[in-house]
Amino acid sequence: MRRGRGLTLLIGLVVLVAVAWDTGADPVRFFRGTPWMLDFVRRSLPPDLRVLRPALEGAFKTVEIALLGTAASAALAVPLGFLSARNVAPPSVFYPARATLNFLRSIDTLVYALLFVAAVGLGPFPGVLAVVAYTTTSLAKLYSETIEGIDPGPVDAITATGATRLQVLRFGVLSQVLPLFLSYILYRLESNIRAATVLGFVGAGGIGFYLQTYLRMIDYPAASTVLLVTVAMVMAVDFLSSRLRARLV
Amino acid sequence: MIEVRGLRVVRPPDTVALYGVDLAVQPGEFVIIIGRSGAGKTTFLRSINRLVEPTAGRVRVAGREVTGAPPAELRLVRRQIGMIFQQFNLVRRASVLENVLAGRLGYVPALPSLLGRFPGPDREVALECLVQVGLRDLADRRADTLSGGEQQRVAIARALAQAPSVILGDEPTASLDPQLTGSIMGILRQINRERGLTLVVSQHQLETALEYAGRIVGFRAGRIVFDGPPAAVTPAAVKAIYGEDAAP
Repeated sequence: MRRGRGLTLLIGLVVLVAVAWDTGADPVRFFRGTPWMLDFVRRSLPPDLRVLRPALEGAFKTVEIALLGTAASAALAVPLGFLSARNVAPPSVFYPARATLNFLRSIDTLVYALLFVAAVGLGPFPGVLAVVAYTTTSLAKLYSETIEGIDPGPVDAITATGATRLQVLRFGVLSQVLPLFLSYILYRLESNIRAATVLGFVGAGGIGFYLQTYLRMIDYPAASTVLLVTVAMVMAVDFLSSRLRARLV
Repeated sequence: MIEVRGLRVVRPPDTVALYGVDLAVQPGEFVIIIGRSGAGKTTFLRSINRLVEPTAGRVRVAGREVTGAPPAELRLVRRQIGMIFQQFNLVRRASVLENVLAGRLGYVPALPSLLGRFPGPDREVALECLVQVGLRDLADRRADTLSGGEQQRVAIARALAQAPSVILGDEPTASLDPQLTGSIMGILRQINRERGLTLVVSQHQLETALEYAGRIVGFRAGRIVFDGPPAAVTPAAVKAIYGEDAAP
């Protein structure tokens, strides 16, 4: 037993060393790079407040992308969540639904953004679509796991009254899961704000566009303003959202 | 009122819960089912409204076929059968009144009910049922803020709101203390006498069963081994139901 654990630890260590070798992870190289990082920070200061206005506009767009995308996903994920819950959907529906969700969820928002920019052109709209594509599947998965964890008692009781299947879902299931659903939606909104900050890198709108532009122009003071606005935006949304979530549970 | 013939329930892969049970219950009877846990009491009760799907046999309630009924007809017959449970099974986050209104789901128009809207007359029925169990004043409270005894009374009101012919009770007092047991059983007796409702209730306490029942049905290992009035429950009968090592 003890010997087995030692062996596992040794194998784990060997794997990590091999991986470090393969990725060229080198502490010396990291320390040699630190002056450049400090130089980068020094050249970024003080932030150039002349670009505050476009930065704020970009941040506003980013919030809009995340908000619209999350809201649409929250609704779209409801039927999908029920269809991929083991205790609600018949196996013939459950298995394909789960498999589809797992497949779609393995692609990140940014990759979806690349696809949608190619499909509908530049701007915030492909960003919204990208958020919807990823968030719908991830929320559907969270919804379905919540549905699978409900107390079956009220479902039995509502079924026994002679209610229809939809009424059983509404009163026996939805009433149990709705507060948790809302909490997940807010959590996804927080994550989507962060995800949406980089959507601009691939032309899908929002504050990321400005960050990338100023970095390319080597205008570090402007870029640092954008970065500070991003941090403020993310913190503000996190704060509001966690306050709301605390009231739900 | 209830007619059960050859009711057999096998749980996959091959655990037999009930071996071809026959039972006929007349209108207005108060039947209490006793037996050790695992004897098949819960399975029997849940087969009557097909919360458990019987493997074989026939169940008829109030002249309607339960077994083999297609979904729409099954809902109509379920409407006739109120049910209360050991764990009350209320929707915890909903109000007391909303929980009782759920008993009207088989009657109200489907679409508005999904939006949480119930017609005025149905709300009246729900409130009357709350009066019957003495909880009219708690109508707006959230269900999970009530005590266990109160929650079970709400569950009884929900069953009554169905305007049922039959009420089934699956160990309705098993998670309550002795004093509340009397209050719940008392309400059930009152319903049985005043409304003439047929009651079939399982009960793990023998003395309580004997005190309230009009008829005792004893289950043992998936079969009915006793059926008669409480007065006929002799020590020998108790042994037949609970086994040798029973302490009645």
